[in-house]
Amino acid sequence: MLSMLTQVLFLFAEPAPISEPATEEGGIQLLLPHPDELIAGLIAFIIIFFFVWKWAVPALNKTLEARQAKIRAEYEAAEAAKVEAESLLGDYREQVAGAQDEATAIVDEARVAGEQVKADIVARAEAEAEQIKSRASDEIEGERERVAGELRREVADLSITVAEKVVEANLDDDMQRQLVDRYIDELGGVH
Amino acid sequence: MEQLILASGACDPANDIICKPDNVIELFKFEDNLFAIGPWGITRTVFLILLAMVIVLTLLFFGLRKRRMVPSKFGVTIESLMQFVRDDIAVGIIGPEGTKYYPWLLSLFMFILVGNLFEVTPLINFPITSRMAIAGGLSLLTWVIFVFVGFKKNGFRYVGALVWPTTVPIALRPLVGLIEFVSTFLLRPLTLAVRLFANMVAGHLMLTLLLVSGWVFMSSVGEIGARALIGVPWFAFGLGIFVFEIIVAILQAYIFTLLSAVYVESSIHIEH
Repeated sequence: MLSMLTQVLFLFAEPAPISEPATEEGGIQLLLPHPDELIAGLIAFIIIFFFVWKWAVPALNKTLEARQAKIRAEYEAAEAAKVEAESLLGDYREQVAGAQDEATAIVDEARVAGEQVKADIVARAEAEAEQIKSRASDEIEGERERVAGELRREVADLSITVAEKVVEANLDDDMQRQLVDRYIDELGGVH
Repeated sequence: MEQLILASGACDPANDIICKPDNVIELFKFEDNLFAIGPWGITRTVFLILLAMVIVLTLLFFGLRKRRMVPSKFGVTIESLMQFVRDDIAVGIIGPEGTKYYPWLLSLFMFILVGNLFEVTPLINFPITSRMAIAGGLSLLTWVIFVFVGFKKNGFRYVGALVWPTTVPIALRPLVGLIEFVSTFLLRPLTLAVRLFANMVAGHLMLTLLLVSGWVFMSSVGEIGARALIGVPWFAFGLGIFVFEIIVAILQAYIFTLLSAVYVESSIHIEH
């Protein structure tokens, strides 16, 4: 494990310059820029700078602008949807309230109509009953009159028969009838 | 084993208590060419400089390639890094016109960050910023930029305001002016370069000495017996420093970029 770590740590390290004698200039050498490295560093930095300047910064700006535009558009769409939803909700509420009113009106109307029908039925039934009653009383009256007439005739006949028998019938038939009729009329006038 | 720089003659675990090279330059200077492109020999350091460039370009390219509405985690990292440099360094320090310097500052930050992190990158383990060519070259560039901006924005008032600061009592002006002049034109590039360079040299030195000593002692247990235990604290300490150096690498990249922005800002607004 440790030997692996060492190899990892120093894989790129080059062999120590054993052949070179150690010089006392080490510190100064460390402080002085190496020309090759200076050139490489400046080239590398300039390439990075141009890449950042010409591509990276504009790319990020475009991304941010696009993102901003999209978020704004979505926000506005959401706002519009909310407004629409609210207006729809209002409409629905109105509709529900209207429906309730309508339902109440229908029920009321039905009740009124029912009462009307009931009253009609009762009235008709009463009229019918009245009619039946009056017809019955008419019929009774007719019957009474018919019976009375018949009775009168029979009484007359009987009376004639009786009178003939009593008086031995000198009087002609017509005279006797008139006599009886008058008698009956008198009787009728009595009650 | 002969690849071990320190162990190859500079270390005797039986007598020494730490391995160190005969000359510190051995840890930083690689003279032999890895390969050559035409007439140009590419040493390990030059190769790593170019590798750092390729890594920066690759990171940016893959971070920004797809213009996604919902970015990937990697995309978010790159975007946040870029926005951090733009908002916190470029615009934060210089002001609204900082966006003009943003590509330069971002390039600086990315290049130095990758270069610094090479210190703790397995298989590489060498910060290119520990070479004066990089630290010095980049601070020289910063110097050129802030001096140029100073003259461009303010003409000769730029130097005038530095050497004859009207905000201090007249008797002190020559002295303060001289200090300001030296500090701005000589010390700024130097301190900027040395701060980065020295931090990375120290980090690399510590890591190499501690980890190599630790390894050399512990692996020589067969020859030196109990003395091999000396390697344990060295190695443990080295691992601790390793974590610390990750922070240093990020921090130094940030500081270099931040100070570059501060210098440009002071060249634009000379009144304070």
